[in-house]
Amino acid sequence: MTPEELLLLEQVVSAHRERTVDGVIKSHPAWHDLDAAGRSAAFDETLRQRALERAGDPAGQSSTVKAVLARLAR
Amino acid sequence: MQAEVAQLARISAGDAAAFGQWASSIEASLRGTLRPFATLCDCEAVVQEALLRVWQVAPRFKHDGRPNALLRFAVTTARNVALSELRRTSATPTELESLHRALEAQGDATPRPPDPHLRTAVARCREKLPGQPAAALTARLERAEDDHALAASVRMTLNTFLQNVSRARKLLADCLKKAGIDLDLELAP
Repeated sequence: MTPEELLLLEQVVSAHRERTVDGVIKSHPAWHDLDAAGRSAAFDETLRQRALERAGDPAGQSSTVKAVLARLAR
Repeated sequence: MQAEVAQLARISAGDAAAFGQWASSIEASLRGTLRPFATLCDCEAVVQEALLRVWQVAPRFKHDGRPNALLRFAVTTARNVALSELRRTSATPTELESLHRALEAQGDATPRPPDPHLRTAVARCREKLPGQPAAALTARLERAEDDHALAASVRMTLNTFLQNVSRARKLLADCLKKAGIDLDLELAP
């Protein structure tokens, strides 16, 4: 993977996602710039990263769950 | 099963903390069922959208008497969200057919219990991270903001921030490996 692809992958692993005007959660723009191998790698890295986040969080919540809970309050 | 029904009752009544506990317990299983979609749509967006829809439908959800009812519903919801995204982005009939075959081959998803050994090891390994990677990773984990804002909050350029997050994740993985933890093995279906 090139350094540029690694930076794209790192952005995709984030749980931050924008919403469309009708409230649906949007794909990360960087995801569209990855090729198939990069997308697969991003999927695997996200799976590992969320496991580490759950293990490292006092409430056992990953950044995905935190992002979803933050949306409930809006 | 009784605990599951009681948890569902709390979620249906609008208890966000109960929903958070449930979502944490099933997230890995739910995400794992989306592997056939990994190259076709952004599964992080799909997982979040599916969880939000489950929360919205929960007050009307009826338990069917079989274990993991809400997880099974979440899996179906996530697949529908993903398939809908694929139709929108014009997936080819071959891609859709191959997807349906992969989905049919999947068994029922079950929640994965937390690993207390992993929790201790992650805490120890995070303590060992050098300053900049530690700061970048902590910013990522503590605030649900976009990376530009997070980078600015730790006084890094976007690229430096991303490189530090990447480095932190690699150092964590190496440290866990030294502690005898194989994350891939832990996450194997």
